Amino acid sequence: MNALFALVMLLPLLPLLAAGGITAYILSGQAQGDAGEPPTARLAEGAAWLTLLGLLGLDLLALFAGVPGHVAIGTWFASGGFTIPISFVLDGLSLGYATLVALIGLVSLRFSRHYLHREPGFHRYYILMCVFLAGMLLIVLSGNAVLTFVGWEFAGISSFLLIGYAYDRPVATGNALWAFITNRIGDAGFILGISLAAWWLGTVEWTGLANWAASGSAFDKITARLVLFGFLLAAVIKSAQWPFTVWISRALEGPTPSSAIFYGAVMIHAGVYLVLRLEPVLLHTPGVMLALAVVGALTALYGWLVGLVQTDVKSSLIFATTTQVGLMFLACGLGWFQVAAWHMALHTIWRAYQFLLAPSYMYLVNEKARRVPAWLAGRQWLYTAALQRFWLDQLAVSMLIRPTRAVARDMRDFDDNVLAHLVGMPARRRAGAFSAGDDRDVVIRGHGLAGAVLVWVAERLHRFESRLVMRQGTGPLVRAMRRAGEYLLVLEALLERPRYPILLVVATLVIIL
Amino acid sequence: MLSTLLLLPLLGALMVALLPMRDPVWIRRVALAATIVVSVFAWSLLAHFDPVIAEIQLYEVHAWHDRLGSSFSLGVDGFSLPLILLATLLMPVAVVASANVKQAAKFYFSLLLLLETAMLGVFMARDWSLFYVFWELTLVPLFFLIDRLGGQNRQRRQKAALNFVLYTMGGSVFMLLAILLLYDSASTHSFSMDTIAEASRGLPVTTQIWIFLGLLIGFGVKMPIFPLHGWLPLAHVEAPSAVSILLSGILLKMGSYGLLRAVDTLPGAALALQTLLVALAFISMVYGGVLAWRSRDLKEMIAYSSISHMGVVLLGIAALNHAGFAGATMQMVAHGLVAGALFYLVGLLYERTHTRDIGDYTSLVRTMPRFAFFMILAFTAAVGLPGTAGFIAELHALIGGFARWGGWMVLLSLSLLISAAYALRTVGRLFTGPVGVTMKNVPDLTRTEMLAVATLSFGILAIGLYPAPALHLVGASVTRLSGFFGA
Repeated sequence: MNALFALVMLLPLLPLLAAGGITAYILSGQAQGDAGEPPTARLAEGAAWLTLLGLLGLDLLALFAGVPGHVAIGTWFASGGFTIPISFVLDGLSLGYATLVALIGLVSLRFSRHYLHREPGFHRYYILMCVFLAGMLLIVLSGNAVLTFVGWEFAGISSFLLIGYAYDRPVATGNALWAFITNRIGDAGFILGISLAAWWLGTVEWTGLANWAASGSAFDKITARLVLFGFLLAAVIKSAQWPFTVWISRALEGPTPSSAIFYGAVMIHAGVYLVLRLEPVLLHTPGVMLALAVVGALTALYGWLVGLVQTDVKSSLIFATTTQVGLMFLACGLGWFQVAAWHMALHTIWRAYQFLLAPSYMYLVNEKARRVPAWLAGRQWLYTAALQRFWLDQLAVSMLIRPTRAVARDMRDFDDNVLAHLVGMPARRRAGAFSAGDDRDVVIRGHGLAGAVLVWVAERLHRFESRLVMRQGTGPLVRAMRRAGEYLLVLEALLERPRYPILLVVATLVIIL
Repeated sequence: MLSTLLLLPLLGALMVALLPMRDPVWIRRVALAATIVVSVFAWSLLAHFDPVIAEIQLYEVHAWHDRLGSSFSLGVDGFSLPLILLATLLMPVAVVASANVKQAAKFYFSLLLLLETAMLGVFMARDWSLFYVFWELTLVPLFFLIDRLGGQNRQRRQKAALNFVLYTMGGSVFMLLAILLLYDSASTHSFSMDTIAEASRGLPVTTQIWIFLGLLIGFGVKMPIFPLHGWLPLAHVEAPSAVSILLSGILLKMGSYGLLRAVDTLPGAALALQTLLVALAFISMVYGGVLAWRSRDLKEMIAYSSISHMGVVLLGIAALNHAGFAGATMQMVAHGLVAGALFYLVGLLYERTHTRDIGDYTSLVRTMPRFAFFMILAFTAAVGLPGTAGFIAELHALIGGFARWGGWMVLLSLSLLISAAYALRTVGRLFTGPVGVTMKNVPDLTRTEMLAVATLSFGILAIGLYPAPALHLVGASVTRLSGFFGA
């Protein structure tokens, strides 16, 4: 039976394969014009169908055979005493939500076929959607934090690329960067959580965390709080909870179906899902739950107030969404995890429907938009604050971006004026290719301090080389040898005269005799 | 088997010499065929060679002079076989590189093949007297090749040839003395390397040191090690392109190969002189690198960089441990391939542009994209970028050296840094910049030229990406040798 459940590892792979297939199709050069669109769409939808059917099969299996819980398949990699397994968790929550994700993915893909018809980035869009689907399925199904994180990053990067879908518009790319960087803060938290769990608890499995929380004696509240802090930071940011709500309103630049699936319906719930996974640990740390409840309540309040004054469809929807997700966090914080889970599932379905419908609202709704309620309109300061989204945007700019920029500028000045001279980097304007006005005669030259030292040493060595090593003709040794050779020539000349050899012979004879 | 390998190039030389026609194209083709046959035969030796065995294999012996105890004995092991393969691989490239030899082609190509015989003899000889004979035999063809067929300036090339021969002869005198002393003190009445080695390992260290120093001077001239390198820049610059390839590709390795044999024979002395060896290695590395950086002449630059790279070989040998010896052997092969490719390419460039001054070139990547590709590949391999053979070699030498001297290895990094400096500067000068008038109509590599340089590049990348077979080939011999030093 477990062998059948092990097939779950194929499910996130299917959309990835589709993405690879579409890439190959583009590279083959045949993805051109109207006729090029259906194969791409069919490939993506086919993968989504297969995923959905596979999940439904697993659901049926689980209905009859019971949920297997934790399914370990193998080892991804091991280093030292630390292993990262390939494992999945199949329980009611993950199977149910994964099925929902696959269904919504399929619906959005089908919707996109007409919505994006003749858009320049049609194929690119489908690739990204497939990558996102794979990432989301990994988040929901994986049995350990590392695999979840892989999915988390898949979702993050595809969301970044889809927000910047119209990459020729500066606003879109700027917003994409904003969203991505905010999410990176969450990623840092996730990595912190993973490493603390691996370091202190020796496990990255969700079940391992649950067992540790239930073990009683080994459980330690401070450790738990730190580990939870990392994971929950990631969850709070991914779900755009207060005070990180801003990025989600900037994330609506992407094509509508992608907004629907990412921010309206699926990805925004990834944080809630992570909180639900951490339920066993949370139950032992009431303080953290309280913080979660406060964050959720604040978000709900914030989303409600700001949502009241929005004037366009997508923005009002997104603030309504954050309100609801804030309520889910509140529910989790109060310990009503079951409620939060159901709320999440229902909200997913409803929001997906609403977002996909968003482009048609103007036609569907005939009445005038609802006015701002009187009590809000009367309170000028509150109204302004809501309209300005409580200046969270500006706050982030002045408290984070500006100081960072200032530090970066100082660093660059230091680099340019001090380090570059020390290390000997060529000046900034000359980096890379050699400029046209380069003087031919100075091929060999060093830049900065290191370069000067090198030039100095090279000159000394060159002089040494040419004086002592290369010039044999006039070296002292050669001169001495030449002089010796002259003496020998004289000796030779003497010996050539007959009287000296005869004298020698006579002398020899005398000695012998 | 090995004597056949030795005779094949000799046969080729005879054939070239006795060929009835005078057409240089045909003479070159015959020579090329001969070198390719030798190469195929040498590579087929791999089938008979068992890399697991550390001892000498394919051994054959004929008595030569019974009273003296010299014999004509040949054999290969994990140190010599890679160098034999390298030599036979570089020979066809050298012949292809001689495409512009028009005058005295017969003379030239027979000398080239004779040189191959002598080189292979050095690597295969298992008898010190035979080794010496082959060692000296390489001088004869090289002298004529440089003196008669070298660069444009007659006086310079004659000076270069004379310088080269005098230097090597001077070194050989010390080597001969050392060999005779070795023969005398080992008192085995045999010149056989194995017999002498067994006897000499028990000699008192002082005797060993004297003999080792003599050998070190002889081999150090060839390698070359720092104060004995005076012949090299001149000879490389003046020699014809093909001879430069062989000089740096194979002949330098004769020196380091001999040094490995000397370490094998006199381990006590090697251990005692370890500090001297490593100091010389560091000086050679930095000295050669700085002078390479200093020179504007492309050939001179590569010549000096050879000194720097052979310093890495010496460092590996001086480490006297497994990684060090493996690194030294790999560096010999890597440098053979890289320097061969570089000299070949620079020779081709010189034929086309008649200048070797780096400052004269500009934006060649537009006119010669294929040339640019191979040149950049060769330079990156020279710097030792991962993925190339140079990386594997330098990494092993580094590991080996680190085990012995730790932080001193920063000098190796320094020399690598300097080599990166001149390699990148040269690449930048040659290939980037504004399109110049003089460099506008330089023809790119032809198909034959590309085939020759692609062979070498393939070797560089193959060893760099999948070094296991090459390391396996030398492994057993390296283990045996490092066993004498307990590492």
